[in-house]
Amino acid sequence: MELLSYLVEALTPLNLMLALIGVIAGTVIGAMPGLSATMAVAVLVPFTYVMGPASGLIVLGAIYTGAIYGGAFAAILVNTPGTPSAIATTFDGYPMAKQGKGALAISLATLASVGGGVVGGIALLLLAPPLAEVALAFGPAEYFWMAVFGLTLISALSIGNTVKGLIGACIGLILSTVGVAVVGGDVRFTFDQVSLLGGIDITSAIIGLYCMPVIIDLVASKTPHLNFAKVEGESSLKTAFTLAAKRKFNLLRSSIIGTVVGILPGAGGSIAGLVAYTEARRSSKESDKFGKGAPDGIIATESANNATVGGGFIPTLVLGIPGTPPDAIILGALLVQGIKTGPTLFTEQGSIVYTFIYGLLIATLLMLPVGLVLGKYAYKSIAKTPKQLLVPTVAFLTVIGSYAIHSNPHDTFVMFALGVLAWVLSKFGFSASPIVLGLVLGKIAEQGFVQTYLIGSAQDRVMEMFFGRPISIGIIICAVFALIYPLWMARRKKSQEQTVALDNKPATLMVTLLIMAGSGVLLSQMDGMSKLGAVFPSYILYAVLVLSGLLLIRLLRTKHSTPFLQLGVLPTARQSAVVVTIGLWTLFMSTLGFALSSLLAFTSIMLIANFDKPKLVPMLRNVSVSVVIVAAFYLLMKEVLLLRMPAGILF
Amino acid sequence: MNKNKIARFTKPLLTAMTVGALSMSMSSMAAEDFPSKPINYILTFNAGGESDLSARFQQTVFEKHAGVKTVIQYMPGAGGAVAWSQLNGMEGDGYTIMGINIPHTIMQPIVKDSGYKTEELTPIYYFHYTPNAIFVPANSKFEQLSDLVDYAKKNPGMVTFAGSGSNSANHIGQTLFDKMTGVTTTYVPFSGIGPAMTALMGNQLTAGFNYATSGANAGDKLRMLAVSAEKRLKAFPDVPTFKELGIDLVGGAYRGLAVPKSTPEEVRQKLSKIIGDINSDPEFVKKMEDNGFVLTDIPYEQMDAFMEANQKEYEGVAELLGLSK
Repeated sequence: MELLSYLVEALTPLNLMLALIGVIAGTVIGAMPGLSATMAVAVLVPFTYVMGPASGLIVLGAIYTGAIYGGAFAAILVNTPGTPSAIATTFDGYPMAKQGKGALAISLATLASVGGGVVGGIALLLLAPPLAEVALAFGPAEYFWMAVFGLTLISALSIGNTVKGLIGACIGLILSTVGVAVVGGDVRFTFDQVSLLGGIDITSAIIGLYCMPVIIDLVASKTPHLNFAKVEGESSLKTAFTLAAKRKFNLLRSSIIGTVVGILPGAGGSIAGLVAYTEARRSSKESDKFGKGAPDGIIATESANNATVGGGFIPTLVLGIPGTPPDAIILGALLVQGIKTGPTLFTEQGSIVYTFIYGLLIATLLMLPVGLVLGKYAYKSIAKTPKQLLVPTVAFLTVIGSYAIHSNPHDTFVMFALGVLAWVLSKFGFSASPIVLGLVLGKIAEQGFVQTYLIGSAQDRVMEMFFGRPISIGIIICAVFALIYPLWMARRKKSQEQTVALDNKPATLMVTLLIMAGSGVLLSQMDGMSKLGAVFPSYILYAVLVLSGLLLIRLLRTKHSTPFLQLGVLPTARQSAVVVTIGLWTLFMSTLGFALSSLLAFTSIMLIANFDKPKLVPMLRNVSVSVVIVAAFYLLMKEVLLLRMPAGILF
Repeated sequence: MNKNKIARFTKPLLTAMTVGALSMSMSSMAAEDFPSKPINYILTFNAGGESDLSARFQQTVFEKHAGVKTVIQYMPGAGGAVAWSQLNGMEGDGYTIMGINIPHTIMQPIVKDSGYKTEELTPIYYFHYTPNAIFVPANSKFEQLSDLVDYAKKNPGMVTFAGSGSNSANHIGQTLFDKMTGVTTTYVPFSGIGPAMTALMGNQLTAGFNYATSGANAGDKLRMLAVSAEKRLKAFPDVPTFKELGIDLVGGAYRGLAVPKSTPEEVRQKLSKIIGDINSDPEFVKKMEDNGFVLTDIPYEQMDAFMEANQKEYEGVAELLGLSK
């Protein structure tokens, strides 16, 4: 039992303490949208040079797994995934929180994350070399079909509204093609803006698309953000255990999906979560409850995304191919230590590798106490914070989060613009999730598609490349199921609940025509693009035209029309004010300086979100709290994460 | 092209004037005790590639030679153009340095408007070089390069090469290889070296046009057929150069460090010296060579001549490939 002897090494007080600190730090960082595991791991790598390889790796791994888990907090409490891995957590987590079951949702996410993390870790411990072959079995065609499979979730997410969901997905896919193309090297849809060359950052886009609408809607009325449940609290862990135990099969299946997707380099936690969610929804008997606060949705996503941590280390350690950016940094740390990755690593450097894997498993288990304590605290603080402090704090997090990803004010502006767009579109029945799905899966779909086509046409077997490979066929079958099943179920239940989309005929007509015009403009931009770069976006744009045409016909034929004002498209004074404030904030952040502009915007939004009669004492208290919050984050980012902050004229 | 020429002509003049003005003012004060706090080292690519690994190697010995630590950050996007186009807007006090690559910083402005011009960047040291190399999966029927070339000649277009990105060093290498050997192959761009190597190890393509360093971690899953260096690499003594095989293909990617334009002359020289010292640190040299990197010593003083030579070479390549805008 040589394996067990390494467990003892992982259990030294130093390693245990490092795992605990790593998990706490990771969870906190992951809970803040925009601050990522990659960032924290990158900063901490030098410490591993002095710490000794195994201990160093344990800290990095603990931070990584903690961050993936922490992403669920923001997803559940403010509808914004703290990391892209938690996208699908918002689907059911936020509805649960809205129903007053936020504490339960967090407990579920914690249990699922620990479960998923353990499954991924055990796979890494026992099966790494054979499982690494999975990474090699997936070629471009399989990546393409996997992205398509992820996209089929749209059909489930937008029942009764499929055409709009598909248009939203196409918008997301087009957004994913902005910038310099990997295949073909064309510059696409940048409208000569140098700042768009790098494309639209997924994380900042997600923050904007999900979180801006929450902020804008929060200031619309006085009602509190979340209902604070009365009975729950003590019993939520017990309830969560019971709920999770009933869904152990879902948990296991999602963890396995997460492990396998984690093994695929470049796929990562967001896709694992989406695939597991789609699969859980399809196989569930209560699939109509998904998206409305189904515990199964949270369990599927959170167990899958934490399973990718262990899964991702498999190709990293066995093949030297990092599965995700944090894996890449950890791989670098290994190479710097003079440790060669590869199939022999597990035999020749066993003490380091196995001590690390045990450390990772211990860190995963530590998420349970850490998560339950932090989770309870986070939920209470979000639920009890008065609105006039909550709104500016959330707004502040979106701004620093989107800035921090690349220390680039441009990303913050993209976040803001897409967020406002998402808010407007949501009023016309286009929800944000299909856009996010398109954006996240677009690059993988396009590269897989073009690469498959190139390889296929070079050897004159395009059809065989796309449709003739066994794994591809399997994924295609799953995709067809996932696509048709929800529609079929909906049709069967149609008599029971007829969903009537809220549509103001003239306004929705106008939006549809605007979308068509937009696609026309983009199509006209495609002259002179290489064939490689043009094929994917042109298909998508034609699809948008066809879908909008369908929507037009349907609109013209329906007699039902909601009065325009009832849609709530026109913002209230407070809503416009908050949009303008955040807009000015993103625009003047670099010139005014980060701290100054943040203080100004923070206090303004505090005033906008204040529904009480202004009184001096609470006002002063809130102002001092805001100074503390801004200062704390400023120091965290500048001194701890060592990010470059825009200095501007003052500070 | 005309604008470039004028800019190239006026650049030394402008630099001299700015530097003169600056060094007379406060900067010489600050430059004297440079460096006195950690230096931000910005990488223009994601973690996990050659830039990252070599920077991490430097980081381990950085403090020994500079007296201060360095902090590595990532600012990826558009093949590096996102970061390079912002470099001159950053603080020029020497505490911000950025990875810089050739041919990227020469080819990008030639091919399209990338938000910066080659001559606007200020490289202070080019410290290593990774030659291109052709890989095949270990179970491939192509034992040596001539097998692959013969097969490609008989089957035009059939040979597929996995590489990192379009118009990249890998892509240029593949195109020149085609021209020089008279074959037609298909280049399949991937989003980075990692995905390209994975696809190759999985037998998804015939071969890979990558960097010699790319296969250092692949163990026995890949076979390197030839390397486009002047002489054989210490890490791979059994792999022949293209030249030995009668193909005059030498090329790959140089990596170095650049500073914002406003960085004072004295600080540039100090940084150049620090990087030079690291480049002769035996611990660093061993790590780099074990992983297949070729160290180069092109300090700040020799930069103008080095850049001019490369600019000329890659303008020729761009013309040959029909890439000039």
